[in-house]
Amino acid sequence: MDKWLTVRNNWYSRQINTSTCTTIAILLLITLTVALLSLSSGKYMLSLPEVIDALRSQTIADNAFIVSILRAPRMLMALLAGGALAVSGLLLQTIIRNPLASPDIIGVTSGASATAVFFLSFMTSWLSVQWLPLAAMAGGFAGAALVYLLAWKSGVSPTRLILVGVGISAVMVACTTMLLVFSPLSSTLSAYVWLTGSVYGARWHDVTTLCLWLLPAAILLVALARTLAVNELDDTLIIGLGISMERARLALLALSVYLAGAAIAYTGALGFVGLVAPHIARRIGGKSGTSLIIVTMLVGANMVMIADLIGRTQFLPLDLPAGIFVSAIGAPFFIYLLLRARS
Amino acid sequence: MTALRTRSVALATLAIGAGLLVLLAVLSLSIGKTYIAPGAVLDALFKPDPLNIDHILVNTTRLSRMTVAIAVGACLAVAGGLMQAVTRNPLASPGLFGINAGAVFSIVLLAPLFGSTSLTQFMVLAFAGAAVAGTLVYCIGMLGSRSPFRIVLAGAAVTALFASFTQALLVISQEGLDSILFWMAGSVAGREMDAVLTIYPYLLIGFAASLVLARHINILVTGDDIARGLGQNTFVIRSLLSIIVILLAGGAVSLAGNIGFIGLIVPHIVRRILPGDFRWLLPGYAVFGALLLLLADIVARVVLIPQEVPIGVVTALLGAPFFIHMARKGMRNG
Amino acid sequence: MNALSQLWTRQTASYPGRVRTTVLEAARAGSAGWRSCRMRIWFLLSVLACTNAIAAPFTVQHALGVTTIPDTPERVITLFQGATDITVALGVKPLATVESWTEKPVYRYLRKDLEGVPMVGLETQPSLEDIARLKPDLIIASKFRNEKIYDLLSYIAPTVAVDEVYQFRENTRLIGQALNRQSQAQVLLDKWDARLAQTKRRLQDKFGAAWPLSVSILDFRSDHVRIYLANSFAGSVLADLGFVWSEPFRKSGWPLMKLTSKESIPVMDADVFFVQMRSDSRVVQNRYEDWSRHLLWQQLAAVRNKQVYQVDNVYWSLAGGILSANLMLDELEQLLGSPAGLQK
Repeated sequence: MDKWLTVRNNWYSRQINTSTCTTIAILLLITLTVALLSLSSGKYMLSLPEVIDALRSQTIADNAFIVSILRAPRMLMALLAGGALAVSGLLLQTIIRNPLASPDIIGVTSGASATAVFFLSFMTSWLSVQWLPLAAMAGGFAGAALVYLLAWKSGVSPTRLILVGVGISAVMVACTTMLLVFSPLSSTLSAYVWLTGSVYGARWHDVTTLCLWLLPAAILLVALARTLAVNELDDTLIIGLGISMERARLALLALSVYLAGAAIAYTGALGFVGLVAPHIARRIGGKSGTSLIIVTMLVGANMVMIADLIGRTQFLPLDLPAGIFVSAIGAPFFIYLLLRARS
Repeated sequence: MTALRTRSVALATLAIGAGLLVLLAVLSLSIGKTYIAPGAVLDALFKPDPLNIDHILVNTTRLSRMTVAIAVGACLAVAGGLMQAVTRNPLASPGLFGINAGAVFSIVLLAPLFGSTSLTQFMVLAFAGAAVAGTLVYCIGMLGSRSPFRIVLAGAAVTALFASFTQALLVISQEGLDSILFWMAGSVAGREMDAVLTIYPYLLIGFAASLVLARHINILVTGDDIARGLGQNTFVIRSLLSIIVILLAGGAVSLAGNIGFIGLIVPHIVRRILPGDFRWLLPGYAVFGALLLLLADIVARVVLIPQEVPIGVVTALLGAPFFIHMARKGMRNG
Repeated sequence: MNALSQLWTRQTASYPGRVRTTVLEAARAGSAGWRSCRMRIWFLLSVLACTNAIAAPFTVQHALGVTTIPDTPERVITLFQGATDITVALGVKPLATVESWTEKPVYRYLRKDLEGVPMVGLETQPSLEDIARLKPDLIIASKFRNEKIYDLLSYIAPTVAVDEVYQFRENTRLIGQALNRQSQAQVLLDKWDARLAQTKRRLQDKFGAAWPLSVSILDFRSDHVRIYLANSFAGSVLADLGFVWSEPFRKSGWPLMKLTSKESIPVMDADVFFVQMRSDSRVVQNRYEDWSRHLLWQQLAAVRNKQVYQVDNVYWSLAGGILSANLMLDELEQLLGSPAGLQK
């Protein structure tokens, strides 16, 4: 039997599951470890005291530069993007009630990819590359909006959403392929790396902007956490409970698109996090509601951080994009989970 | 009475489809950068003149294109239809089995290693990769619980896995990406006739095998419980069908690269116009799949002369609106 | 005197250490001989004026803004192929460079000049940690590849970015400015212009009325063929020499065109073909042999007149600097001069 802790106040009452608390605590510890490991690893390994010194130092010399200006933003970007994508996938899987749902299906990834590749192939001579995240985000939102509009027929059923999403994604992927194939000489590889997903070259400016983008989403998420739990129930039950199904779904969908769009805009099309992280989170003990969101977020963040760490350190002198390892590690883990759960 | 009527309607539909196919085939031989009149095309096929450029074009480049398009279109459509039956998921398509990803990966990895030169060798490698990926998906998906969902999940995982390895290789070897992009995007051009002829027998075997199993598929799609109740060994049938899917789809991918949409939407379209009996459906899949891909190839050639749009792009752009329209109308399960 | 010493301190504060020491010694030595305070002041002022001209910080305007470089750079890191080439041409051995596209890690023609020079990763993704550790004085980047990390690079050292990597003349000028070797850069460019003019005259003399000839620069890959147009590296050189392109490409602004089907072979037709491909790839060789056996290929003007020449991939497109441009011209002149070479 689970042990429940009751927190009761004049205005606040909540039941907290102790085993989930333990899981979250362990995950936080893992996240911290991975973060410190990221800061100290690289072509030039730094020991922990050196890292702390570098973080505290006022000037930008040597180690301080490498730790605070190169490695720290990269690690934080991976953390934020991984968390955002994971939660986005969770929201989608709950609304659509299909364990295969991920931001790729509703047109966010493909819309952002098409826009980004277009930008990288044809617009860089006019616009600075600083506009790329904004363009990608706009493309992601447009893709998702298109999917939603086309799937709307007096309400949006999850099946129709997936089907239309698959269709629109296919169109966008086709456009992306065409752009890739016909793009001028030098941009093909950069576009391909973007499509793979990478946190190379992340700057503090990018990290703070992403934080600002994600902040309203986080607040909204806290407010909607309970709705998420309810959405896992059957349609008839939800209506019976008196919750407006359509509006709740739309809100969660919009939130999911927003989170995915923001993350993808900065890191490129980091696929698979949104698909796999919720599954892993559920298996390691996240229960529904807020705790599941937190666990999913931590799992996703760690996935991307570890992927970037491996890409950066294991193939020296090459620096491989994180997207490769998110799939390379996430997929076997997912297969392992599939094999273990025989039901 | 209804059975007879259904039968004649189905036959008529198939006949119309086949007729359209022949028409489009001749059309595909005439259209291109230089338009060759259908009369000249027929001349070229039956009374070839070795010095006439048009005849050479028809007999080499265009003929191989047409045969590849027909073969690949038919295979992809049949493979897709079979997959949708096996997994009982209307979203199933050969790409879902990890086949495309496996084929691409094996080419990117092994072609430089083995110093592969001829297209036939490329095809063998692609097929091997497709087979490995497909087998992997099958093993993971079918062992243990027999839920059709597992295969779909396993397919997604294996596709992502192979795709990530491919990405790693292409990101490292920068020249490699530029050289393989067109192949990855899908193309029916540039295959020599003997390469095509080498692979045709396997595809025919696969198709024939699926026809033989058609009756069993009919039972399978009614649901696991009913099928078992009727005495069918669902496990064996599913396994055989999976092998056929891997054969057909692997062959198609090795011939033409990554062509997406055909396996997904052709079965849906055909299920609307032909009765649900797989003895009719399978030939229907083949005919209409070939038709669609031929059409896509003609469009791909004509739109951006003298450059060619990759055929995977055209199939997606042609197929997706159709697919969305059907999704809005409501889909019938395979 | 107080004002002067303040001015002196302010001015020399921006000089790097050793320059300041030198200036101080010179000033001390010089002013020791002058008794009058006023003469001392004049002397010190003139020293300041002179050193301003020699060791003052200078600014360079480039594709990503304006950069101030405190002193003539000696430790230079180049982040694209053309920059490596041009830096070597200007007589500076780079501190580090990025890897080459083929003939890794350094192109054969540069190997002697770049002996012992470490690599900082791929051109598409240089390793920032390595660059930081090397403590350069100047980083030469390109707008397209490095715009995203420009801020990070600027933290490490003053960074100058070129606009387009294939515009080697403009880049030579810019890099010459950044290295404070404008005169050497001008010499290189003048020599290049003279060479171009000479070769152009030879071509005009040789072909007379048949000039200008149309040209196709072909690059065979394993799954397609590229035609480089006038906006590419090799294309711009040939265009300057007076070659023209066939009709559909004459007005195109794109640098290249990709062809996949043998049916499009007639599109490539021109008087002369320069064919390049990676010599280490059998697949590419096979494709070339396959295409050259096709009847449509046999019918092309250049093939019929036996004007198909295989040229070096590195000089004609991969290196992109002034040294490789000169080597490309060498190859062209060799073809002009040999008896089997460019015919009327």
